[in-house]
This record gives sequence, C-alpha cells and structure tokens, in this order.
Amino acid sequence: MSSPTTEQTVEVVMPAMGTSITEGEVIAWLKQPGDAVAADESICEISTDKVDSEIPAPAAGTLAEILVEAGQVVEVGVTLGRIAAEGSAPVAAPVAATVEEEAPPPASGNSQASTSGNGRASTSGNGKDSGNDKAKRFYSPVARRLAADRGIDLDQVVGTGRNGRVTKRDVEGFVATAAKAEPTLHTDSPYRPDPPPPPAPVPSVNGHPTQPDELGGDPQPLSRMRIAIGNAMRNSQQTAATCHTVVECDVTALEARRRELGVTALPLVARATIETLREFPDLNATLDGTTITRFERVHLGIAVSLGDDGLIVPVIKDAQDLSIEGLAARIKDLARRGRAKQLDPQEVQGATFTITNPGAFGASIATPVIDVPQVAILDLEAIVRRPVVIADDAGSESIAIRSMVNFVLGWDHRAVDGVYAARFLGQLRATLQG
Amino acid sequence: MAVETYLEAITHALAQEMERDERVMLMGEDIGTFGGAFKVTYGLGERFGAERVRDTPIAEAGIVGTAVGAAITGMRPVCEMQFADFVACGFDQIVNVAAKMHYRLGLAVPLTIRLPSGGGFSGGPFHSQNPEAWFMHAPGLKVFAPSTPRDAAGLLCTAIRDPNPVIFMENKSLYRRAKEEVPEVVEEIEPVAKVVREGDDLTVVAYGAMVGAALEAAEASGRSVEVIDLRTLVPLDLRTVMDSVAKTSRLLVVDEANETCAAGAQVAAAVGEHGFELLDAPVRRLATPDVPIPFSPPLEAAVLPGVESIRRAVDELADY
Repeated sequence: MSSPTTEQTVEVVMPAMGTSITEGEVIAWLKQPGDAVAADESICEISTDKVDSEIPAPAAGTLAEILVEAGQVVEVGVTLGRIAAEGSAPVAAPVAATVEEEAPPPASGNSQASTSGNGRASTSGNGKDSGNDKAKRFYSPVARRLAADRGIDLDQVVGTGRNGRVTKRDVEGFVATAAKAEPTLHTDSPYRPDPPPPPAPVPSVNGHPTQPDELGGDPQPLSRMRIAIGNAMRNSQQTAATCHTVVECDVTALEARRRELGVTALPLVARATIETLREFPDLNATLDGTTITRFERVHLGIAVSLGDDGLIVPVIKDAQDLSIEGLAARIKDLARRGRAKQLDPQEVQGATFTITNPGAFGASIATPVIDVPQVAILDLEAIVRRPVVIADDAGSESIAIRSMVNFVLGWDHRAVDGVYAARFLGQLRATLQG
Repeated sequence: MAVETYLEAITHALAQEMERDERVMLMGEDIGTFGGAFKVTYGLGERFGAERVRDTPIAEAGIVGTAVGAAITGMRPVCEMQFADFVACGFDQIVNVAAKMHYRLGLAVPLTIRLPSGGGFSGGPFHSQNPEAWFMHAPGLKVFAPSTPRDAAGLLCTAIRDPNPVIFMENKSLYRRAKEEVPEVVEEIEPVAKVVREGDDLTVVAYGAMVGAALEAAEASGRSVEVIDLRTLVPLDLRTVMDSVAKTSRLLVVDEANETCAAGAQVAAAVGEHGFELLDAPVRRLATPDVPIPFSPPLEAAVLPGVESIRRAVDELADY
C-alpha cells in the first residue's frame, strides 16, 4: 500500500463554470481510453448554457475510462471519466489536496502530504472521495476578494503556490492575460466607433421592460400567490379609506403570563382582542358599498408569512369560544398547515377581523392594509424592553424597565371614526395591562 | 552633521535637551562621575553638575518613585535603568503610579525611563531581556524602541518633551554598532512607523535590533521584501503596516522579545482582524521562544532571531 509505484486514479469532473450554472453537456472527448495525457492537456469539450469550454487533465497519466459519453448532459461535479495517474501521489495533489493539508506546516511539513501515511491523501480507487473534490481547493482571503471584485471564477485560475494554491499573483496574472487576450478593434487608427445603441426595451402589457437590463436584471413572472396578494391589496387601497392609529401598551404582565402558559404573545393578544371586539362591534364587521354588517361571532384571521413566497391568512372560526390555550393550538395548527400548503379553501375565508404579527420579525411599527370587506386589521409589533415612566398607587413616579409593544390598528374611515378606533385600542390596552 | 553611534546620539540628545530646558534632569545608578554602565551619560555630570545628573542608590523603585514626584512638580526627569532587566524592581512605580497618575488625578507625568535592553553578548537571563511588552500592557505609558542613531536622538527628544511617561528602549547591541549622520540640532520625531526598505513580495515588520537583521535578511533573500521599522510600540502605527500588507499580502513579524504577547503578537492580531481580506498567506511570526536567555553563546544564538532565521522565514512565506 505504501509502495510509491501504486497506480492511482484521478477523477475528471464537470467543473462549476459560474454560480448560476448547474449542468453541462459533454460535446466531445479529445482523448480515448488508453491515450496518454499530459497534465493540463485538454481532454474533453463541454458546453453549458452560458459557456463552452475544454476540460484540462487534472493529472498526467492515461485516460482510463470515460463515464459520460458525448451528447450527455450532467450536473456540475459529476465524474466524467478517470485518469490513471502516472507515478505516485504527488500528481494527484491538485485534485485531491484537502483543506487539512493546507494547514501551515512548520518547515518540514512538505513531504507529509504525499506519503499518505495517515491515509488522508486520497488514494481513491473506491470512488469514495468523488464529488467533493472541487470544494477542496483552498483560496486565500485576498484571492477570494480579488476574484469577487473582478468577477473571476477562481476554479479557472491555475495556482502556483504551495500544493497548487491560487495566490494573489496568480489572480492578477489571470486578469492580465484575460485583458491581453481581448482583440483590439483597430490597429491603424485611433478612431473607435460609437458603441451600438442599446436595443429599445420591449414594453410589456404594464409598460415595464421585459429585457434584462445592463444591471443583470432577470424578469420573471410573478407567482400566482403574489398576483393574488397584489390584487387583494390594491383592491383594498382603492376601496377603503384606510387610517392608522397606534397605542403603546405595557405587556410586562402579559409576558410573564405567556411564559407561564408556554405560548407566544399572539394567542393572549388574540383573546383580549376578541373580548374587546365584542364591545366594539363596528370593528368586527364587513362593509359592502353602503351596507355594514356587524357580527356577534368573531371569525379571526391570522396572517401567516410563507417566507419569501408570500403570506396566507387562515381563519379561526368562532374564535370567541376558544380559550387562550385553544387559540394557541389553533394558530399553531393553521400556521403549520398553511406553510405546508395543506389548508382547505374554506379555512382561509370568512374572517370578520384580522391580526397580523410582523413584530415576530422585529418590526416596531407598520401600516397594515385592511383585508376588505373587513373594516379593520390589528398589527402586533415587536415587544421591546424600554425605560418608561410608571406611577405607584400613591402617584409617585419613577422610571422602570418594562416590556412595551405598539399596537397599530388599520381601520376604514368609511365604517368608523378615529375616536372609535382609539377607544377600541385603549380598551384593548386596559385589558392587556390588567 | 557628524557621524555618531547610537550611544553617542543618545548622549547628544540628552545634552541638547538639558541645555534647552533646565527642568530636564537625569537620575540613575553610577550615571554621574562614572558616566553609567554603558557610558551614555559620560561627561554630562561634569557639564551640568551633580544637581542635574544624580547618582542614586541601587533601588529602582526609589529612582522611579522619586522621578514621578519630581515630574508632577514640574521637572522633566530622565531615569536610567542600568539594564532593562532591573526595571522589574521599579515596576509598581511605573505601571501603578506613573501610568495612572493622569487618569486618577489629572496630573501630567513628563518622565522618560531609559531601558538598555536586548541580548546577543552572552549576558544571560538577567542582562539580555526585552521587556517592552510589559509596558505596552499598562495603559498610560508610551513605549519607544528606535533602531538607528538618528531615530534614537529624535525620539528621545520626543519622549522628554512628552507630558506622559515614556519607556525608552535602547537595544544594547546597537549602542556601538549602529552609526549614521545625526543633525547638529536634533528635532522631535513623530511617533509613527517607517518603511525602511520597499518591496512587493512580502512585508517584514520589526523594531530595535531586529530591523537591521531584517534588512540584511531581505538583501540576502534576493526577493522584493518590504521592511517596516515600527520605531514606537505605543502608539502602534498600524496604518503603515496595513498599507504595506495591502500591497504585499504577506506579513512576517519579528520580535527579539519572547514570543508570547510580544509587540509583534499585537501587530499580527491587528492584521488578522482588520486585514484578513488583504492576506495571501497566514501571518508569520518569528520571535525568541518562551525561554530565559542562555549564557552559552551557541545556545543564545540558537534562541534569538537573526539574519539566517529571518531569511528562512522570508523564503517560506514568499513560497507559501
């Protein structure tokens, strides 16, 4: 096993040609099994949707086998073929070098990597090491920065440092060569033609350009969910006379209570909101043209974020009948199924009032859009610890650290007035502060 | 302008400052008639009198303590430790009294303490140390460590005129070996680092006696090596170092002091933290291992960084 003449195989993999490229096609093999290959000699032509390129041999030796025939499309990182390396391990280093081997060896370290005494250097054969090889190349911080600044794919740069490391000088050399390779327009005249005018943007139905602009824009159609959300929100803005009112609420006691119950603040706020709504029926209502319908029962909508995909508002029917724990369980269940896209259509309809909770993501104030025909939406913002003036029973004042939150009520001025909204919020605050 | 040794340049600056400002006075063991262990103050006793060139008992805490008292009442004392190693006896007066006086009481302590430091002449563990890092770690002190006669003279003026206590490192191996032209009238030098050799392949940061060794090693390596002389350790001029690393992307830091927490460790840490994206190779350090300095000449040569070990480190780093 330690014999220096042991033949080793080195894998030829589909290289990553850029971050957006995930697959490539083998166009042709320039070498056939059994052919001798020199290190860095082109052995295979490949094509991706962005670039055509040749793959250099990662080691000198003999092309042992071809695993992906010309015409096949495979993902980046897939082994295309194997080279039987000539001699022993050192030639395999550029492909097999591991990050560990890059640890700065004190003076004597160089021979360590090639003897593979601890079995760390890849002696392949069983193909166990395949797949990771491209990730094993080490780039120094400055090489990475230069590559990022100049948009260079470091995999393309030949390294001249220890164990084939790509040094700053290699990157600069690569840039200089690339610049030189660019053909000159004229050799006989200093005249340069004006750059061709950019193609006129093709307007789409809504007047926005559909061609990618020079900044690398990539127009994509909106998802169906985004279109649906957009239509609903625009409908609200065009229909309702939306106003917003904010109250600040001390939720120190609520925080203690929710910890006791092991739930989030949302079900406690929901419970208090439901109770308060029953005293303010104008807000637990829908408005259709000139007809307002007030409800005795509360069908509570809870906005659930689906991350970057959008949001969904499942509805807790007859929320007035549920305890805090019951609300917590329903919210959890609806959110989970909402995110898994398992809700029934009737579970996202029929709300009489909606609570949204961007505070869970740290927002301290927002202006929520009413989900018409409902007439109001309550926004629970982030709970933050703040110094506030408090008074004891004797009326003496001091500054204390309290858990504070903003409640923002978005309300439709067609249905109610500002005083009504403020009174609702005041009552909600009183309920929560106890 | 005359050629002076490092030692003569210090004597020159001391005399000039005593002439210029009568508040400047010297204190130390055998510095008067005898002229000091290394003869730095030779002739100054005769010229300025025993009042201003004071022989003291062999008691470093007493020397520094008395000098602190003199400084806060308006004098500008310059204390000589016979060897830097002996400063340990006066340590409390320096780090707890002198260094914190302004912070605690708002009083200036315009005090300079000269420390003949460094090895290379079989002085053994009590006469070869480089204790500058002890003082870098005590807020309120400045630490200067010049490597050339001109810098020694100029920075000594800066130290004496500074309202803060300054630890002034004088590497003994430079005393008679380093020679250059020193201007008649010595001017203050701003406490910043200096690029003493320009290059593109890598940067060597050094101070004191290691600057000369680094320059020789750079020459011997045949590479394009940039050498930076820190000159002052507090304040530490990282801007100059960072600018150089931005160019070369490789850094070797050399200390004659013991390795752990040495001045060079501070430079290496700062470049690692603020210059990570400039680096093409790990920051390399070369320092005396954490052992006392041996008497035996071959053993001492083995532990101290020198031209040969610096050149090897330069090669390894350049080839990384």
